[in-house]
Amino acid sequence: MNLKSSIKFLAFGVTVASVASAAIVGTAYGKDIEWSGFGEEVVHHRKDVGISKARSGFQIEGLKFIGDVGPFSNVSVNGIVRLSYDAVYDLNDDEYGNNAGGAAFVNSLGLANLGAPTSIPVNGNGIGPAGGLGVGSFAVTNILGPQVDVAVGGDGTGSAFPFTAVLGGNTFVDAYSNNPNVGMITLGEHLRPHGDGVSFGVPVRPCDTDGRGCIKDFMDADKKELASPELFSDRGDWLRELYVDATLLGKGDNEINFRLGKQQVIWGRTDLFRVLDVINPVDYSRNNIYDELEDIRIPMWILKTDFRFGATGPFDDFNMQLVWNFDKFRPNNLGQCGTPNVILDAGCFFRGMKNLWDNGGTVANFAPFDVTDPSLGLLATNFGPNSIGIRNVELPSWSLSNTQLGFKVEGVSGDFGWSFNALTYRSQLPSLHAGAVPVSNAFTGAPEQTFDYLIAFDVEFPRVNMLGASVDYYSQGIDTVFRVEVAGTQGEEFANTLRPELYSESDVVRFVVGADKNVFIRALNKSRAFLISGQVFGQYLLDHEMGNATLGQVGMPDWKQNHIATLLIKGWWMNDRLSPQIIMAHDFRAGATVVSPSIDWLITDNWQVVLTANYKTGGSDQRFDDCRLCNPWGPFTTSIPALPEHGADGLTAGSAGLGGFEPLGRFRSGPLGMAEKEDEIQIAIRYRF
Amino acid sequence: MSYKKLLTATMMATLLPVMGASASNVDDSFYPYNESVPTYPGLTPGMTLTSANIDQFPDIMDAPMIAAIKRGDVQIKVGKTTSFDLHPNYVKASRENAGNVMLGAEVGQIDGWVAGRPFLDQPSSDDDRAGEKLAWNYKYGYNWGDNAAIYPFYWKYRNMETGSVERTLKFNFHFLNYKGRVNQEPLPNIEPNPSGLFRSIYAQVLEPYDVKNTQLLIQRNSDDLKRDNAWLYLGFQRRVRRLATGQVTDAFLGSDIMIEDFEGYNGRVSDMKWNYMGTKNVLLPFYNHNDMALDSETHQDDEGYQVVAFGGKGGCYPEIEWQLRKAYVVEAIPVDPNHPMSKRVFYMDAQTFTIPRTNIYDRAGNLWKKWMIGQSHPDHHLAKNKGSGVSIDDSFAIIDVQANHCTTGQFKGQIDPALNPASLFTPQNMRATGR
Repeated sequence: MNLKSSIKFLAFGVTVASVASAAIVGTAYGKDIEWSGFGEEVVHHRKDVGISKARSGFQIEGLKFIGDVGPFSNVSVNGIVRLSYDAVYDLNDDEYGNNAGGAAFVNSLGLANLGAPTSIPVNGNGIGPAGGLGVGSFAVTNILGPQVDVAVGGDGTGSAFPFTAVLGGNTFVDAYSNNPNVGMITLGEHLRPHGDGVSFGVPVRPCDTDGRGCIKDFMDADKKELASPELFSDRGDWLRELYVDATLLGKGDNEINFRLGKQQVIWGRTDLFRVLDVINPVDYSRNNIYDELEDIRIPMWILKTDFRFGATGPFDDFNMQLVWNFDKFRPNNLGQCGTPNVILDAGCFFRGMKNLWDNGGTVANFAPFDVTDPSLGLLATNFGPNSIGIRNVELPSWSLSNTQLGFKVEGVSGDFGWSFNALTYRSQLPSLHAGAVPVSNAFTGAPEQTFDYLIAFDVEFPRVNMLGASVDYYSQGIDTVFRVEVAGTQGEEFANTLRPELYSESDVVRFVVGADKNVFIRALNKSRAFLISGQVFGQYLLDHEMGNATLGQVGMPDWKQNHIATLLIKGWWMNDRLSPQIIMAHDFRAGATVVSPSIDWLITDNWQVVLTANYKTGGSDQRFDDCRLCNPWGPFTTSIPALPEHGADGLTAGSAGLGGFEPLGRFRSGPLGMAEKEDEIQIAIRYRF
Repeated sequence: MSYKKLLTATMMATLLPVMGASASNVDDSFYPYNESVPTYPGLTPGMTLTSANIDQFPDIMDAPMIAAIKRGDVQIKVGKTTSFDLHPNYVKASRENAGNVMLGAEVGQIDGWVAGRPFLDQPSSDDDRAGEKLAWNYKYGYNWGDNAAIYPFYWKYRNMETGSVERTLKFNFHFLNYKGRVNQEPLPNIEPNPSGLFRSIYAQVLEPYDVKNTQLLIQRNSDDLKRDNAWLYLGFQRRVRRLATGQVTDAFLGSDIMIEDFEGYNGRVSDMKWNYMGTKNVLLPFYNHNDMALDSETHQDDEGYQVVAFGGKGGCYPEIEWQLRKAYVVEAIPVDPNHPMSKRVFYMDAQTFTIPRTNIYDRAGNLWKKWMIGQSHPDHHLAKNKGSGVSIDDSFAIIDVQANHCTTGQFKGQIDPALNPASLFTPQNMRATGR
């Protein structure tokens, strides 16, 4: 953000906050402010892990009706403050706190040829004088070099390939003074062994304890911020919402409703899935995808304007809405590695990759044991700093052009409700861009340049344009409500190992079809019907790319077409004070299923207990091309003779399709599959007032 | 008089009874107590019916209420029978339009209604469709007038055995008639009205926290054969959901009330087979709010308004007076064989066509619920309600006699168009104002 725009933004924000605050403070002791809120204690216990949440929370909401102000009527101010403290970082600190992690190990299957252990500690010393087992600088020069010399007709002394001169400047390392193997996990270890795939060590301790791999303003939470995310947030998240409502009355029933301030704006008609509901980013670190969206949407400073025309022409209700999200961009909170909820395990991949860039590190099963015979297996390799990994995360700064704008037309016509939606926004998910990060050729140490297909990334959040629509319909004949939501986006980016940048854009169509029906099961409850609600979510990548290479499939790991089905069955007893429900979801392509039964007991109007189980199965073992054989530094990153994708001279970059679970299998496993090992029992006790 | 004038006068005299209602019909229908009020031997205003004396009045009320008095669950204070005159404009509209209204071929069909009470003739047991006509008179009754609000409205869920209040919900309820309006512009219909809506009910939950900000909108179509459209805004979802409205027999927010019970009966005429069972003078809960025992704890406001107090067993009975009034006894049998009840027996007040008493029977034919809605005279209520001609729903109790549980309601009914603009009764209002 430049200074001028920063001041503008600040001034605007302060003005809104001041007006709202003045209204609240000015009448702070007024009897006509409505106060409500709750205190809660939430404890989660995760299988094989122990306590995964011990959150004490407090939320208070104040609503002040002001009345008419100048041309505006029904003016009111609403504010919500939320604070919490999660003791899990103290109670289970060897999993999530200052003592989390330990020594990480990665596979080096090629070592079997030497009779050595095939699992080695990460960031250890290199083969050779250093006495370690990783392929480091010495090995590249003195083992790979002679191999290449022999392969190209020499006698192994450099007669055909002057390897000391060529490889002597390589940037692989034989020791890591700044990146010790402590406080680490192996990427993906909680899901399954990485086998013959790649993996690497990831620091997991809070960023004040261990700053390795922390990404400024993106994933850099210290222990205080993890435990009390609202209070210690950089963005003042303790103030969850604060907005002013006002109405301009027009002719007849026409009116314009304004809501200005920090708020959530919700579009669409479906539960659980975010097809149109994408205006606010979401905090998945709170409880993955399993909290109510109201609790995990990240409120933004927004001006929402509803133009309401009432009954108009053929419509019982006709409206337009303009949404201007003028807040500084925020991405979804995907969860920081080392915390209980890291959706897709993306936070660990990011932190590990950032650490690889900053400090280098050992990558599993990377260099061939014998460049002339890949079947002999691969060796864990010690990359040096600034070779591979994530260099920067480019969070969009505040500028007018970076604000986000939405428009909706919505109406009702008898049994039909409908909307048309348009939104231009910044993707709330990160996109990894390769091919534009200057690095030194790790084998030669040559001056920095960019390399196609090199897994050295900058992270960006591209602009996305969305057009969508939604319909609901009540069928009298079968007494069922149907809900349909569809959105097409342009500008979303996906990993793609067919492209030199390792990503590409794809237009995407997403939809949800849902049906709700209330059904009496008199044998169970004669006076209260059960709610049965089913949904099918679909995601189609219209520009999906996939190809076959020598060693496997290459292209976009995301499924070209995938569907997730959900089913909710909810009942009520004891005058709605006891409500059991079961939610099930199944990701068809991932083969992942989650079943979550719960019981909600309202003991009194004030006290509530909710007991939930969350059981998942399947889906965490998806594999995909990992770009190990993308050959960015040909001919050293292919075999001899070169793989067909790399040309006769071995100088062509492009993936040969060698894959594993990490890192791209996660896109196929999806949020359900990547949380397979996170079965939990959860209890929440709330006092509400 | 010329021949032409004579012919015209003769034709007018012939046609008038067809085109409009006779004066006697109107008086009988709207002013049944003009000449006298009902009496019952030994019953005098001011007395209290208790287990000690109820045997002297074996049919002064319906049998379930008599039984409750005998058990000592409740004592009934007898009030003086008073006339609850509906608004003159409603009476006028009834007079002007009644002769034009006819039942259609099927139950749920009606032709010619514009405004007012559709059928002014006294029901006859010889008329197979007398019950259905009474149902229409209720549906197109003056009820809450052209619009009104219960602002606020307290519901308490009570354990009848222990008397404990399990839950207290605080609402605002709003009502708006799109058609048949007689008093507030526009008349007689709000236009445009592309789907031909007859009436809307909008409710907003204010407390407690778990259902705070829940909003409900029900739109009733003029076509009685069509189901309602309904939307629900859930505060914890912040989303408006269209509701399947077939299950109007679902317990509303866990109370003992079904949506079908609202205001006495909230289903379609076509959902029931209607049988007129006779006309009786019975005690019904009609009173002057300002003269009743009031509850000083549940609600306080700057106007000094207080809601009706409750007592009796479990706190399930309103502490009000009951008047001896003319009532039509109507049995409604659900058309749907899967309906959870076998029948309702309504006691429709003949003057106001409100339904202050209903007994509800389960599928086995056993008494399930007793449903009573106390009616206050508008001239003895809030000052703004004076002269509104609306019989004010002012207190309710629905008692599940099988579960020994009840839900009670305490009202602040306000006849105030400013509280009920048409813009309030739209799904978009729920979205725009939802929190």
